[in-house]
Amino acid sequence: MLTLWNLFEASLLCLNAVCVLHEERFMQKMGWGANNRNQGFEDQSSMKYQVLNLVRSIRTVTRIPLIILNILTIIFKLLLG
Amino acid sequence: MNFNASRNVGQASGPRKAKRVSDVSVMGAPSPVQAFTPPGTFEQGYAQAGPPPPYQQGIQLDPNQDFGSPAPAPAPPGNFGYMPGYPQTMPTPANIGSMIQQPIIQDMAMQYGNQLAAQGREAVSRELGRFVPVSRLRYYFAVDTRYVLRKLILIIFPYTHKEWMVKYDQESPVQPRYDVNAPDLYIPSMGYVTYVLLAGFMLGIQHRFSPEQISIQASSALAYIIFEMVLYLMTLYITNTTTALKTLDLLAFSGYKYTTMIASLLAALLLGSMGYYCSLIYCSLALSFFLVKTLRLQLLAGSQGPEQPAYGGYPSNYGNPNPYTDNWAKPSSSGTKRRVYFLLFVAITQPLLSWWLTYHLVPSAPSISPAR
Repeated sequence: MLTLWNLFEASLLCLNAVCVLHEERFMQKMGWGANNRNQGFEDQSSMKYQVLNLVRSIRTVTRIPLIILNILTIIFKLLLG
Repeated sequence: MNFNASRNVGQASGPRKAKRVSDVSVMGAPSPVQAFTPPGTFEQGYAQAGPPPPYQQGIQLDPNQDFGSPAPAPAPPGNFGYMPGYPQTMPTPANIGSMIQQPIIQDMAMQYGNQLAAQGREAVSRELGRFVPVSRLRYYFAVDTRYVLRKLILIIFPYTHKEWMVKYDQESPVQPRYDVNAPDLYIPSMGYVTYVLLAGFMLGIQHRFSPEQISIQASSALAYIIFEMVLYLMTLYITNTTTALKTLDLLAFSGYKYTTMIASLLAALLLGSMGYYCSLIYCSLALSFFLVKTLRLQLLAGSQGPEQPAYGGYPSNYGNPNPYTDNWAKPSSSGTKRRVYFLLFVAITQPLLSWWLTYHLVPSAPSISPAR
């Protein structure tokens, strides 16, 4: 049943998953590193570039609010099931 | 509406005449007899000489003011500027009780409250205007009855409509009330509310209803809207598809499926499960047709340039030049193909979602039939 609370939980989990991807240990090993790819100008419009850019921006923006949201959700679920 | 541009003008110009609030408030003018007592009682309560009393900070009551004349209606906002001074220094506590009773204090308190409310309203609208583009929203709700009727008929039966291009009015699309092709948010929002109520009704007929169901249905439908919008926006961003379609347009077009859902639910009420599926299939086809015709112009009109559009013989400058896509770097033919795929994606998910959101509400037998 997709309710607002379920949607919120699902999106919280997805954002957590995106933020957990480690830059050094994982992304660069898979060739998805954000810095050392040959950032040639012909690369800018490919889908892989867009997705990786999206991942990096999500990580930068939501790192701190996600800590707060996670703590709140954990407390909420502890108290109310 | 309550904003007074001259609020701070001339505030330092010493004692000025103060207009009574009760003149211009909607509560009506007070009787002239009572209005003249305050100046007398002030001078009895406090041993200060004559007007102005020190705590009034220069406000001078004019006993010759004409309290009987009705004040002009637009005047109230302007009066906020005439009473700049509030009681800055409170008199001794023993005198507060008698002070509160006097109409002048009540008037000043009410005016103070009004001013606070006006400031609060201003602050709220300013903050809200940062998140939600209110002027853009106003465009989407500028509809009239004729437009709504024609649009609903168009959604159910789009096969005879010839002209699908939205008329532009100096580089901005005309309001929905002047052009039946323009997207609006009125029908989606009304459809959403109607869907929630109809869902509650159908649950009630099957004896599955409880008041929590209304909120569950409402939040579920809202969650689907949000999820769908996020899905479309992510698809557009990841595939790097630049279109002329704005977010609110996309919201409007995805909200048109509520018409489909409501029609199918009504058919389910009258004709049972068979009626539901027939109506769903027909309305889904009609909605897909409508969406393809409308979105084709908005999505593919951006493909200006010398390249061959992949979508079969489409002239590159169809209709009017789209002012939103003039700043492109390189519109490519693969971009057109992506746009076509996105259009098909939208046209297919709409019927699926409308089925998904209604099938659990359908009764298995006709619940309202004449031959009971």
